[in-house]
Formats: sequence, C-alpha cells, structure tokens
Amino acid sequence: MISEQGVKDFLQSGGYIADDAIATAVFLALHMEKPILIEGPPGVGKTGLAKALSSALDFPLVRLQCYEGIDEGKALYDWEYGKQLLYTQLLRTQLDNYLSVSADLREAVERLSAEESLFFSKNFLVQRPILRSFLSEKRSLLLIDEIDRSDDEFEALLLECLSDFQVSIPELGVIEAKRKPLTILTSNGTRMISDALRRRCLYLYIGYPELEREVAIVRVKFPDLCEELAHRMVEFLRKARELNLRKPPSVSETLDWAQVLSILKATQLTPEVVANTVGVIAKHQTDLQKVTDLAIQELS
Amino acid sequence: MERIIARFVAELRKSGIRVSPGESLDAVQALALAGMEGRRSSRQLLRLTLVKNVNDFPVFNEVFNRFFSRFKTENRDLDISDLMDAAIISMEGEFNYLDQLPGDDHEPGPLLKLDSDINPEDLQDLKSLTEIDPDDTDGNEIVVQMKGYRGKAKAPRPTRRYTQNPLTIELNKSSGSGQSITFTPEEQAAMQDVVSRMMLRLRKDMRRMKNDQNRGKLHVIRTIQKNYRNDMVPFQVALRRKRRQKPRLVVLCDVSFSVSHASRFMLLLLHTLHNQLLDVRSFIFNREVAEITEMLANMPVNDLMESIDKGDIVDLDENSSYGQVFLNFKKRYLENLRGRPAFIILGDARNNYDEANDWVLDELREKARFMLWLTPEERETWNRGDCLMETYGSYCDKVEVVKTVDDLSLVVEDLLRDIYADQAHPLDRKRLREAKAEENYDYHDYYTRGAGGGSQPAFDPGGRSHW
Repeated sequence: MISEQGVKDFLQSGGYIADDAIATAVFLALHMEKPILIEGPPGVGKTGLAKALSSALDFPLVRLQCYEGIDEGKALYDWEYGKQLLYTQLLRTQLDNYLSVSADLREAVERLSAEESLFFSKNFLVQRPILRSFLSEKRSLLLIDEIDRSDDEFEALLLECLSDFQVSIPELGVIEAKRKPLTILTSNGTRMISDALRRRCLYLYIGYPELEREVAIVRVKFPDLCEELAHRMVEFLRKARELNLRKPPSVSETLDWAQVLSILKATQLTPEVVANTVGVIAKHQTDLQKVTDLAIQELS
Repeated sequence: MERIIARFVAELRKSGIRVSPGESLDAVQALALAGMEGRRSSRQLLRLTLVKNVNDFPVFNEVFNRFFSRFKTENRDLDISDLMDAAIISMEGEFNYLDQLPGDDHEPGPLLKLDSDINPEDLQDLKSLTEIDPDDTDGNEIVVQMKGYRGKAKAPRPTRRYTQNPLTIELNKSSGSGQSITFTPEEQAAMQDVVSRMMLRLRKDMRRMKNDQNRGKLHVIRTIQKNYRNDMVPFQVALRRKRRQKPRLVVLCDVSFSVSHASRFMLLLLHTLHNQLLDVRSFIFNREVAEITEMLANMPVNDLMESIDKGDIVDLDENSSYGQVFLNFKKRYLENLRGRPAFIILGDARNNYDEANDWVLDELREKARFMLWLTPEERETWNRGDCLMETYGSYCDKVEVVKTVDDLSLVVEDLLRDIYADQAHPLDRKRLREAKAEENYDYHDYYTRGAGGGSQPAFDPGGRSHW
C-alpha cells in the first residue's frame, strides 16, 4: 500500500511535481478504485499527470481521445463484419455438410442458430480503448481525454463503465474488467459535465501552480537552466496571467519558454529577450502587445 | 465518524451543494483509508469526494471552517490537528451514552449536549446568524438582478415635461451606489450559465427533431458506401439530411437612459448568444440607429459597453425618438435584411412626443416572421405620458414585460423554439409546442412575475396578444 507521500515521490521520479491535492487524489483513486475527473485550464498538466502515472506505476496507458460524435463503436467495442463475412464464405463447404444432414428447413435453421454464438464470439470482437483496458492482464491506466468534447449520449454510455467497470454487449452478455484500471478523465470545462458522471468520480481541480512548485517543475525538466532565471521567468509569467489575456500562459507555456531560453542560452531576463520570444508565451495578437508592455514595465 | 460526515453533508446541502449518499460513503471510505492527520488533509479528502464543481469550492471551505470551528472553543489547549479527533471522540462518547437509553435516539443532539449550559434555542439562534443565505433554498439557481445604473459622468437627465417615470426612479433607488457600466465576472459567468442551460434545453429538442428529420429520401451513394462491408446488402441505410437553417434574429435595443438597465443585460445576452447558434443582427438606438453586430462579435463586451455609454456609437444626449429610429432603420437596413428574421425590440416606447411613424412597423411586420416587443415597464404605466406602447404594441405578435435575466432568457428561448417549430416537420411542430406547454407549466410564475398584479397580457402563442 502506497502512502500519500509515496505517491508524491514516485510521481517526482516520473518527472511530475505534484501538490498535496493531486497526491491525495491519486492515492485515493488507487485504493478506492474510483475514476478521477480532472478539470482545469488547458496546459496545467492534466494529461501529463496521467502519462507520468502510467510510467511511474508501470501501468500500460490506454488513451481515448474524445471528440464530438464519438460512440460505442469507437470507445468500447465493434464487430468485425468483414472477418465474419470472410469466415462464412470460407466455411461454406463445412456449413453445407453440416446442414445437409437435417431433414427439413426448420431443422436446418435450428441447427444453424445453435451455432450462432460462433459468429458473435470474442474472435470477431474488435476491442476499443475502454474494453481493451478492462481486459488487459496487467492493471492499466485508462485516460479519457477531454471528455467535454463528447456529447451527452457518450457521457451516459460511460456511466456503466465507470461505476461498475463492466461493459454490456448484447450478443455476449456482461464483460467485467479483469483488473480495474486506474481511470483518469480530463476536461477543459468547455461544457458542463453531467452530475451523474461527476458523482461517480473523485473530483480534482488543477489550477495554476504556486510559485515554488512551478519553479520546481521548470527545474526538473530543464536542470541546466539556472535557478535565478527560472525564478524570474516564473514570476513574470505569474504576472502575465493576471493581465486578463485571451489565452493566459499556462504551465506548458512556461516549459516551452524555459526550453527556448535554455536553447538561446539566456542568462538574464530583459525586455529584449521577452520581445524576441514572446510568441512562445502569448498566442493571440492582442496578447503579444500586452505581454511586451508588461516586460518593459517590469523588467527594465 | 459516519455521523459527523452525515451532519457535515447535511450542512453542505443546506448551503446549496448537492451531495449524494454515494458521495458521502466515498468520503467515509476515503477518511478511513487515508486517516485524519490534520485539518488540511481532511479538508482535501472531503473536498475530493464531496464537491464536484470548482465553483462550489468557496462555499465548501466556508462550511468546513464553520462546521469544524465549533469544536475549537471546547478544546483551547489542543492544537488544530487534534481537534477533529477530539470532536470525534467526544461525539462518539455521546452516542455510546445515548445507545444505553432506549427510545431516546430519534433526534440525537450530541452537539448540543457537549456543554450543558447552552440550551437548544440559543444554538438555533446562533446557527441562523451564521447561515450564509437563508432564502437561497435552491443553490443552483442563479439570480442575476437587473440593476439600474447611472451613466458614468452624467446625472439622471429628467425630461422636462415628465420629471421621471416612477418605475425608473424606483429601480435607481434600489440599486444603490457604486453601479458601473461594465459587467463583473460573476455577472458574465451567471449569464453564461443562463445561456448554456437554455442552449441545453433547446439543443435537446432540436436534436430529437433533427433525428426524425432524417427520415427523408434515401442517399443512394452513402448507403452503398456504408454497406460495402456487408456485401452491398443494405443493412444500414443512409438518408439525406435536410439542411437546417439557422434562425435569424434582428434585435433593436434602446440604449437611452430610461431603459439602460435592461438593455445592458440584453446586450450581454446577445453577446453570449452570438456565436452559439444564431444569425443575429443587433442594432442600438437612441435618436439615431447604429448596427453593432460586428462589434458584439469582435470586441470584449465591457469595452463595447463603455463606448456605448460614452456616446461614441449613438449620441446619448439626445431625446430618444422611436418614430425617427424606425424611419431611419427602414431607409438604411430594411432592404438588405436576409430571409424572414424575427424581430425583437427592447425599449419603453417613450417617444418624447415625436412623430410616432407607426406605419413603419407595419412594413417591418411584412418582412418579419415574428415580432416581439420587450419592455421593462409595468403595464399600468403604458398609457402615461409619452409612452406609445399601446400604439406600437398592436403591430407586434407579442409584448412582454421583462425585469430579470431569467425572464429575458425565457422569452428568448420561447421565441427560438417558435422559430424552430416553424421550420420543423408538422409532427415535430406539434411535439415542440407540447414541450413548450410543459415548460410553461414548470415556470408557472413566469407570466405573473414580470407583470405583477392581474394585468398580464393574455398569452396567445399562435397569434397576437389582445388588449
């Protein structure tokens, strides 16, 4: 049994700096076998958490990217029609022999329907991500990414999978998960997720990290960047987040910027450096101006 | 411990956070798993399991602090991390004691018994003092109050003949000071919420309708493509989909001082609606009329409100003149309006004794699919002074009194539903109208809320209102 501190430690070994809330959530999800629903602004490491967990725990990552119009054929399972057809063609002679024994049509139909389950067996089932993670021999990590992009129907479909970790297939019956996967759902909040789904999950909100944690994240990813500079750039970005930008810079932007600065071998944060690299931080034309203005005001 | 959680959950529910029994079980399980090492971690555990929405976090924190600070005074000498344990011990002690008394466990009041010199009534009083909002029984209902506001630099501009209409004065008084022209983030969020709920309701009906509309003609090529793997046996049929038209709206919004408190929210509603599903053209007027469709789509709403308030778009120092506005609108815009849009006019119809030019509305009617007039004024004042509501109203399909954002969104939703219903298959139309009737039943206070007293306009979905 891993403790909360243990969760923090092994996440750190996977290159992910977690705060208390994240560690607690992961800890609970591991032991209570409940999915975690993560919300937060884009780029704060929601998907990153799942990836770090999968590598740290050595759970195979099964990822399901949601989009508008995703359905059970894409998420749970599908029948392989082509294969089914091919098999009936190839087995035609055997079928003929098998059915020729029967006296009349009625008996033939009966004989055939007795073998129906052959064609609707696991041989012809295509496993899609959710079913695949349920049937995996090893405990896996199921990442349902950007659930807010899917429609209500798909959300309703997930309810059964997430509360009981089982999939009902009309032809086969209920298939239960061999090992309940550690499930992580992420959402950017572009649409309200229904209460029914929320109820089945632990709810974790990841916001922008505190100063120290963000510096630590930068330091872990780019150890060669000097600490002084990391500190100053994180401070600058925190100020930029308060500017009311159209797309405020997130942790992923911080990391991109840190990478750019370390490639450029910058040692000081000056307005010129910011002006040259502003495209990494700000992603809208109006934002560019605001950020450069802030740099002149703060750094000169 | 279960009891404490149950009480805490009850407290949360009272404050408007929805917590299901399953979630409280989760909380108990989580606490048992992780242990209670301190206030911080316990709060985290409870929050993870009980609260499923970021917006509820502040309320949760407040309730948490209030609920668990009750024990603080009991044990001054203990440090915070032990407080919960202490509370649990003391409470469970009480329960053991109660268990020994048969027939005394209907309403166990362990908290009251903690110290005996406080009687229940006292505590009741105390509790009601700390309650955040006693009349906020349904926590998820968002009420955005329409507030009057004063233009930034200007004092209220009284009309010479008619000092001020009584209603406006009332609204201005009740709104208090410190009103600004721009919207607070809460107001914007609340509007977002109102609109998204409206969209959800609408979209559900629309989708049902769209699915049924697919029972059109067979799409031969797509059917063949789709059934290629079935050896061309058409198991799955693809049908042609009819092209769905976006409903068109034209909104004329009075921004003169007397209705600015209402138009302010109308503009915000439009702004929020703009990209969602509609083809809206928005105009504002005082004495002149100007189109702001582009600005609504491209400018931050607060900037737009400020430039309107400064009089950059239409001059606000003039007296509003509806007759003039209609005439100008007809000259400049009426010819190039596409399709058969639905018109919404928001204003109090106070014409400052100008030419009424109501014949223009007759022409608008010919162009329009539907005409709706929204007024913030009560029906009783429609005849007073320079108000031409009766004259103009007779040209409209419907006149509604709107006072709150909820009213506004309901009216707009009704309208959209009507528009969709007009385009729909006859069968769907019937169903949509039924859905609407149900809805009206749900919001049964809707027509009385706006038009207080017995003077509401008779609601007649098919035709014009009668007065």
